[in-house]
Amino acid sequence: MIKTSTLPLGRISLLLAIVVWLALVLVDLVRIFGMLNNLDSGISEEVTWILEILFFIFVYLVYRHIFWKTRQSDFLTLIWRGVSTGLFAASAGLLTELIYYALGESKIGTDPFLKNVFYHINFAWTSAFLIATTLLWKHLILYQKNKQVVNQWQVFEFSMAGALLFVFFNHNNLDYSFLFGLVILLVISILLAVNLKWIPYLNFKEKWKTLLFLFLILLCAGFLFYRVLDSGNEGRVQINLTDNLFLMALFGFVFIYGLFSFLVTLFNLPTSSVFEQKLTEAINFQKLSQSIQPEESEEQVLDILLDSCISASFSDGAWIELNPKEQVQIKNPLRILDESTRAELTKLIPQEKQSWVYTSPTEIPQPQTIRLVHPNYKSALLVPLVVNKSILARIILIKEVKEGFNKEMMSIIGTFARQACISVENHRLLNQAIENERYQEELKIAQRVQKALLPLKLDHPDSFDICAYSNTADEVGGDYYDTYQVDENHFVLIMGDVSGKGTSAAFHMAQMKGVFQSLIQLGLRPAEFMKKANAALSKCLERNHFITASIFEIDVVNHTFCHARAGHIPTLWYKANENQAEFISVEGLGLGIVRNLTYKNHVQEKTFAYHSGDILVLLTDGILEGRKETGEQFGNDRLKKIVEANPQKTPIQLQQEIIESLHQFVGGDGMIDDDYSLLVVKFK
Amino acid sequence: MLQLERKKEENKDILRLIGEVDASNSILLDQSMQEILEQGATVLLIDGTELVYISSAGLGVFMSYLDDFSERGIRFAIFGLNEQVNEVFKILGLDRLIAIAPDLSTATRMTHES
Repeated sequence: MIKTSTLPLGRISLLLAIVVWLALVLVDLVRIFGMLNNLDSGISEEVTWILEILFFIFVYLVYRHIFWKTRQSDFLTLIWRGVSTGLFAASAGLLTELIYYALGESKIGTDPFLKNVFYHINFAWTSAFLIATTLLWKHLILYQKNKQVVNQWQVFEFSMAGALLFVFFNHNNLDYSFLFGLVILLVISILLAVNLKWIPYLNFKEKWKTLLFLFLILLCAGFLFYRVLDSGNEGRVQINLTDNLFLMALFGFVFIYGLFSFLVTLFNLPTSSVFEQKLTEAINFQKLSQSIQPEESEEQVLDILLDSCISASFSDGAWIELNPKEQVQIKNPLRILDESTRAELTKLIPQEKQSWVYTSPTEIPQPQTIRLVHPNYKSALLVPLVVNKSILARIILIKEVKEGFNKEMMSIIGTFARQACISVENHRLLNQAIENERYQEELKIAQRVQKALLPLKLDHPDSFDICAYSNTADEVGGDYYDTYQVDENHFVLIMGDVSGKGTSAAFHMAQMKGVFQSLIQLGLRPAEFMKKANAALSKCLERNHFITASIFEIDVVNHTFCHARAGHIPTLWYKANENQAEFISVEGLGLGIVRNLTYKNHVQEKTFAYHSGDILVLLTDGILEGRKETGEQFGNDRLKKIVEANPQKTPIQLQQEIIESLHQFVGGDGMIDDDYSLLVVKFK
Repeated sequence: MLQLERKKEENKDILRLIGEVDASNSILLDQSMQEILEQGATVLLIDGTELVYISSAGLGVFMSYLDDFSERGIRFAIFGLNEQVNEVFKILGLDRLIAIAPDLSTATRMTHES
């Protein structure tokens, strides 16, 4: 069966093969005419050989092209290609036999020229069949090839090429060199014939079909070989094309591989169900290992797992039990069994094996077999599913025979279970990751909202400059500062710090702002402000949280400030006329520590007079407690020295100086594990 | 890093803090204090000789028990604080509410007096 191809390569080869064949026929007819009439035709036998070799080559190219085009087809389609060519060749042979049988001993029947034409036709079909089948075998041999097989095949191909040219060496004689060459090629064929990896991949039905096809190929090969021998023996032809090492070797190869394949397929028939089973398991395994798609759920994985376990163990029933603590529901937990049987069987399983608690924390529970005393069911297999170190569910497989679960089943089921658990775990991790992503987003929003709680612009008169800086240890923090203009001449500075850090601190900071903003409107004196703030905040702070705060009321006319401190880090005051800085000492307890009226005993206020060039540095403990790797803290003295060394700087410059020094001090491996803020005021 | 060591001497419960108390481990301190209280302690002394650092979260733990101590009549003192940690207590004003002693004997005396 030669298909005309759309690609010119195939067509050209086909055309050339036909042309060469016609030339061969013509040349041989002329030579026979010469032989019969004892004339010198002027054509040597080498011309015949060359044309014969060319014919083989072109037929090879035609089939190589066809196989290349259909290389993705399944085995049966490919084998059918060989079978159909064989059937054509065989029928051509049969037809010739029939024609000659009909012609009998008539004149035409004995005509040497007509005989030769038929001989050439049969030769062409036989060659086509052998070459096609060889290419088919090549495809099958090289299925799942490795380097060794490829090398073997190349040796075979080179040997065949040698056999092609052998005719020039031995002049078509059946001598010892011919036999020697044939033996070598047959040995190589036998070596190649063990490569039968394609057979196990056929299913039961395909194997039967393959057997039939192979049988047909063997039959055709046998018949054609018989005819070749026959025509050679009887000397019916004057020019023998078929006693050719190449052709003989091809016969050998086609027959040997065909026979091996046939026998191996035949012997593989009974075990094919096992291979199919393994293949199903592999597919199930793949299903389980595919991570659960977002639209799928854990239940679906458990469903697939249950079915896979049943098919892998040939169970007569199964159910899945879910850990009541897990929030997973499965629609159909029972397979093959009914509810009452399940209840019966559950009672037969020892209580300790039904526990949802790990017996040993280090070892992952493995599938275990149980003997059942039940009229119908004799053995059970418990498969625990462990996700994230707790038992998610348990599959119970039931069989009607005793000891129905062998090692292989348990190992494959164990693998299934582990894979399913990994899928579920991955699914959960993915969901967690999505959730975390969401939290991150929320935190970003929180961060933005909280930044907005700090003032963008600081109220201040021309008589002093001010700047502020705040940074948080986490996304959000608990530091707060603000300024407020009471009237034309009075300004309030305030700084607060919630104990702890992070989200809880941030919420309290928002409350602090609310309280401070309300109280500041009342025009309270600093100590009074702190008392009211303590009373208000005591009602809303968690018991283990407190707030420290500093408040300054600046009178720009009288050049004084009144200050109260509620447990806050003392403020650094640089006095320009003395050229030195000191921490203002005013007694005061943090807010929310004493949650009753006695707080008034714990806070005081003091008024100080300031001068031009004086600097106030309000800060939170995050700055002073910034630590080096060695544990050393930034501390009061370092801050004091920086301010004393830079009194001429503007507040913003001084602030930068302090922050830079702090970062330098802490270094790469140190830490500022708290929110830290700074408010710098410089009087003009 | 925070290590907690509990010791009972006569009627006194002594909780020794070793290392640092910060936001991440203040919960451990809280749990220990809770346990000691539940076991009916009458005198609780905190040994701060090896306390290197305490953050505001750690201070919050002590603060949150002050009411419990006065309600149940538990006598409470902290002793042996280094200068830096002592300063933290002072700045916040907790030295006015909590007995802070230089050493164990002083602390014992202070809790006997009160």
